[in-house]
Amino acid sequence: MGAALTRYRVIAWIVGVVLILLMVIGMPLKYGFDYPLVVETVGQAHGFLYMVYLVAAFDLSRRAGWPLSRMILVMLAGTVPFVSFFAERRVSGWVTGQATTPEPVANTPVH
Amino acid sequence: MPANQPATRTRLSERAPAPGTLEAMKRLWTPAWIVRHVAMVVLVVGFLGLGWWQLSRAAGGNPISWGYAVEWPVFAGFVVFVWWREVRQELRGPEAPGPAAETTESSATVEPTRLAVRRPVRVSRTAATVPDSNDPELTAYNRYLRWLTDNPGARPGDYPG
Repeated sequence: MGAALTRYRVIAWIVGVVLILLMVIGMPLKYGFDYPLVVETVGQAHGFLYMVYLVAAFDLSRRAGWPLSRMILVMLAGTVPFVSFFAERRVSGWVTGQATTPEPVANTPVH
Repeated sequence: MPANQPATRTRLSERAPAPGTLEAMKRLWTPAWIVRHVAMVVLVVGFLGLGWWQLSRAAGGNPISWGYAVEWPVFAGFVVFVWWREVRQELRGPEAPGPAAETTESSATVEPTRLAVRRPVRVSRTAATVPDSNDPELTAYNRYLRWLTDNPGARPGDYPG
């Protein structure tokens, strides 16, 4: 679970940054200054990175046993600029919150 | 069904109808499921349409559209994959069976894969059996080994420390 969460967080962060690059830098350059190169390259990259994000989100929700609605919510959250970072924090909270509650307490010395 | 199926298999089939039967198909025809089927079809058709659109743009002389023409069908395929997995999970049996049917026997049969990926939860506190040596590093390592033997399904990365 911890590794799946890490994978999800890494790709969520990358996709979030690339999406902001696309929206904040690429779009104004293309439509304001007629310079479409950034949109063309970063847009392509974002599409394929988002595939990785979908797989990671799917893997995480499968391991966490989330219902379909939450899985779709997490997947869609990756498409909203800036909001994706808050979503990633929320998802991490869900996972670590449920993981720490039944934390195994093996081999704590019993006095 | 093979002859060596355990007896719990029949108990499972009482709750979850065998896949392929009309009874099983009825479970996929509730209002919530119809919404999912419709959403799946709409998304797949829409994504394939977008892919086709990009393909025509690429053929019309926009080389950057080749990438998008590949991406959209992949997303459509992913939608089908998630839908198919949900269907199979629904046909496999109810998520929360009745309290009477919840025996240790059947739960071990129904969800072995789910248990395999979960963290071990309850562990008996058996630290007293680990001999305390003078070396704290060795003691910690022995505790770690003891924890691994106590949690056969756990991976080393799950060790709580």
